[in-house]
Amino acid sequence: MIDARSTRRIAAALRAGARGARERPLVFGLAVATMAAGLLVLGTYLLVIANLRGVLARAGADLRLVAFTELRGAESDDAVTALAAKLRAQDGVASLDYVSPAAALERLRNDLGQDAGALDGLDRNPLPGSFELAPAAGPRDPASLRGLADRVAAVPGVTEVRWGEPWVEGYARAVRIAEWIGAALGVFLLLVLGTIVASTVRLSLHARADEIQIQRLVGAGGWFVRLPFCLEGALQGLLAAGLALAVLRGLFALGLPLLGDALSWLLGGQPAVFFGPAESALLVALGVALGTGGALASLVNLDERA
Amino acid sequence: MIQMYHVDLRYAGGTYGLRDVSLVLERGDFVFLTGQSGAGKTSLLRLLFGAEKPSAGQILVAGRNITRLKASQVPQLRRQIGVIFQDFKLLPERTVYENVAIALEIAGVARSEIRTRVWSTLKRLGLAHRIDHKPRMLSGGEQQRVAIARALVNDPPLLLADEPTGNLDPALALDIMDIIADAHARGTTVVVATHDPALLERYRHRRVVLEGGRLASARSPSEYASPARHAGAI
Repeated sequence: MIDARSTRRIAAALRAGARGARERPLVFGLAVATMAAGLLVLGTYLLVIANLRGVLARAGADLRLVAFTELRGAESDDAVTALAAKLRAQDGVASLDYVSPAAALERLRNDLGQDAGALDGLDRNPLPGSFELAPAAGPRDPASLRGLADRVAAVPGVTEVRWGEPWVEGYARAVRIAEWIGAALGVFLLLVLGTIVASTVRLSLHARADEIQIQRLVGAGGWFVRLPFCLEGALQGLLAAGLALAVLRGLFALGLPLLGDALSWLLGGQPAVFFGPAESALLVALGVALGTGGALASLVNLDERA
Repeated sequence: MIQMYHVDLRYAGGTYGLRDVSLVLERGDFVFLTGQSGAGKTSLLRLLFGAEKPSAGQILVAGRNITRLKASQVPQLRRQIGVIFQDFKLLPERTVYENVAIALEIAGVARSEIRTRVWSTLKRLGLAHRIDHKPRMLSGGEQQRVAIARALVNDPPLLLADEPTGNLDPALALDIMDIIADAHARGTTVVVATHDPALLERYRHRRVVLEGGRLASARSPSEYASPARHAGAI
């Protein structure tokens, strides 16, 4: 429970912090600018990762399992419908499409292009009917897809299931590598930013050394001294994140037309997207957390008795 | 008000700031702490307001054993003590009002009460007309009076002054000492560290003499003419 006296102390500490920021606009501005530069780099990196992850997610969404069946095209529609129902009932199947033997042959003919004539010599269609299964939403990792393929293969009437195992494993590996690189880079950038913030707070601490000494002499507790710096750090983080977001948005809008085809190729033909409100809020929260954390880190060794 | 028992203050490297100092100051006392530079006057004051922790011995201030205080409890002690320094320790960018009010803000006093108390303290010290001025616009004597106002505005039961007149000319020094004496007359226990013989001559209060970190003598005003009585007999 905070009593009136403590509330007034907190208010006084906050006023001291606000006054400190006003009295040293250069130090304050420098801290905001350096943090904004760091957050801009981090934001750019996060934006690139978000767009690349979108590419990978879309590629994953296009993934299909192909269940080859005993259906040869002469069966009734009821037989196709019955097998489709059994497959749809399998856990992990979102939707399915039936590809009749004739449709499969037509696809093959199209795929062969000029060589399609080779198919003319066939006395009968050798291709079986198949179902293309879209996995339900969720992780597209090899283990879960292999489990789904095994369940589908066990359905009577299914002769073989193919699901692009090498591609899926490559895809999973790519996602994993991107995430690891992302995490490592993210940690590195956060450390760099944290160090920048801590250094600027130390600069501010140095500039206010006399004030702090006097505050301590007249009975200011540790939090009374720390609170203004934390407030200042949080404010710097907030302003820096806002500035970084604004600059990033501007660069994004200006850069898109310039990069044009190259960017489109890199993103698999998909348009580049900017952060949504949630991601923007996250970056701002990150800035505030960095500012506060950097301030706290630089105040850890503050001498309580001095 | 202050009891010190066999107090040592040893610095890193093994040198002693104070050695086996025992001292008792009653509530309402006015004591001069004297001795050459480096005798340990400032060290003793720093112990009393918790800026240093003794290496040995016990110190009680207002019945509270401050040697056992955790660092986080030191601010609470300091809110009970007014401290005055030779170099004033004022904030140059703050007005006189703000420099004095800081002690009350930190104590969590309501803003309306802060205004009243700062005003009345500055008025008492003859600084009411300087309330909105910055310290650099004041004379040395006025700056020290602001520092005294900051030390007294919270009505502390104990006032510590470390060479409060060291930077002032003799006339201003007497002016400052008169203000401190006035605080004493109002019931504040006062400890003034000084090596200014003129002050010691003019203000006939008890003297505690330090030499090389040890208590050399402690004499009451009536004993000035007699040989020094040594620390063990305090």
